Amino acid sequence: MAEVAQNDGGEKKKGAQKKMTIRVDFTPMVDMNMLLITFFMLCTTMIKSQTLQIVLPSNEKVNKEQQNQAKESEAITLILDTEYNDNNKPKVDGETGKTIHNIYWYQGIADTTFTKPDFIQKEQFVGDARENGVKVQQGIRKILRKQNEAVMANYEEYKTKWKNREITKEQFDSLAKKNAADSTLSRPVVIIKPGPNTTYEGLINALDEMNINQISRYSIQLPTHTDTLLIQALEKKSGETIIRPTIRKSSNPS
Amino acid sequence: MGKAKIKKKSTFIDMTAMSDVTVLLLTFFMLTSTFLQKEPTIVYTPSSVSEEKVPVNNLVTILVSSADKSGKLEDPAAVEGKIFISFTGDVDSTFSSGTIRGLMLDKAVGIYNEQHKTAPIEMTAARRKAFMETNMIGAPFAALPALLDMSISERDKVQGDLTRADVGIPINGNKDKEGRLNDFQVWLKAIYLVSKDIHDQKADGLTADEAKALEDLYNAVTKDGRGIAIKADKDTPFTTVEMIFDNLQTMSLNKFSLMTALTSEEEVSSTAK
Repeated sequence: MAEVAQNDGGEKKKGAQKKMTIRVDFTPMVDMNMLLITFFMLCTTMIKSQTLQIVLPSNEKVNKEQQNQAKESEAITLILDTEYNDNNKPKVDGETGKTIHNIYWYQGIADTTFTKPDFIQKEQFVGDARENGVKVQQGIRKILRKQNEAVMANYEEYKTKWKNREITKEQFDSLAKKNAADSTLSRPVVIIKPGPNTTYEGLINALDEMNINQISRYSIQLPTHTDTLLIQALEKKSGETIIRPTIRKSSNPS
Repeated sequence: MGKAKIKKKSTFIDMTAMSDVTVLLLTFFMLTSTFLQKEPTIVYTPSSVSEEKVPVNNLVTILVSSADKSGKLEDPAAVEGKIFISFTGDVDSTFSSGTIRGLMLDKAVGIYNEQHKTAPIEMTAARRKAFMETNMIGAPFAALPALLDMSISERDKVQGDLTRADVGIPINGNKDKEGRLNDFQVWLKAIYLVSKDIHDQKADGLTADEAKALEDLYNAVTKDGRGIAIKADKDTPFTTVEMIFDNLQTMSLNKFSLMTALTSEEEVSSTAK
């Protein structure tokens, strides 16, 4: 391949003339190419980041009457918290190497008598497990899914159809979207309240659960005084500090 | 019978095929690559199940620095929550990132000087050019001229040192759209106004391609929220993120996106008990 056979005019008068072959040594070329490839491989980003769309309400003042009041039976409040170690860094689980986030959740209107046992409960973000090949929800996902059962039932049905290639991805997406916003079904309203020590990851995890459980109505708010009192009541009961007071200075850049 | 003669074999290996393959690979990498953009600090985004890709074109990225993880600093949280901003135009046409940056800078400086009449900042052509060539920048407006006068390596050094007071866009205070805006809000207003101007066909001196890119930016910023992406570290406290949300809300940019990495439903970035 790298040799060029030289034919001296084709005339073979003077006996067999030596056939000349010119060989080109490609080794340096390959060396150089390899270097270039290495350079390009190191400089490229193959994996692109994903995005999570988020819509916040406008900051303008809204009257109490204009606000959409959630039905008591439909409301679920999640108070988020991230555990910190003594060095003021997010505490990491030894086994999985992941940050520990806790969720304190309750249903309906906050119990202001602070007497009901188990009114507020602790959960964590846990991924799906598999039991005999069937997906099993755990942690907070199980609770949210149960609240959104009607929507999820339809959603699973569409998903099966899509997987059996009865409908296209686009059809599936639009059906799922319509289904999640279907007001005839009973759907929960989730209020996400990140506590003072929550990290960004905790919030993303919570928004993720909304996506996974097809919850279309949720909002992000700051915890109220009542929420703090609820947590304190829980602390008193269990006898341990749950949410530490804000350990960070209010982070004002510059 | 004489000794069997050992034939001398040539050790020459034909490298042609190898060379062919490497050239092919090289071509592939050259064509698919988008270069990593220089960022003053490294952040690790949290993971989510969302499968939507970050748009390549027409994107305003708001980078939030994370706490120092090298363990060198006494208070790692001191460098946390510094804001940097980057504008990406249409990567297919080489000039539009620069064009967008230039337009944004003009508008932002205009707004800033309007509000700070006693201490306006001056934007010379050289500074403007330096800004157009910088991917990501984070500094208060007051420190911007000095920063843009530096050489590239000097500027990178200054921007990379998060403990400095003049690194990061100030974000605190002000909840009034009509009031005196903080520096971050000035940028947001500039982003909105520039894309709106293009939409209303007010900017001139642009090529058709550039105008189209900015039109796309307008849609991305105002309509579907794809145009503004927040890139924060997974350990960034919510209080910082909340402040950015609040600023965006104040400026009526209620739709935006959060940058994440991909994960599956089985995995979740937290622990099982």
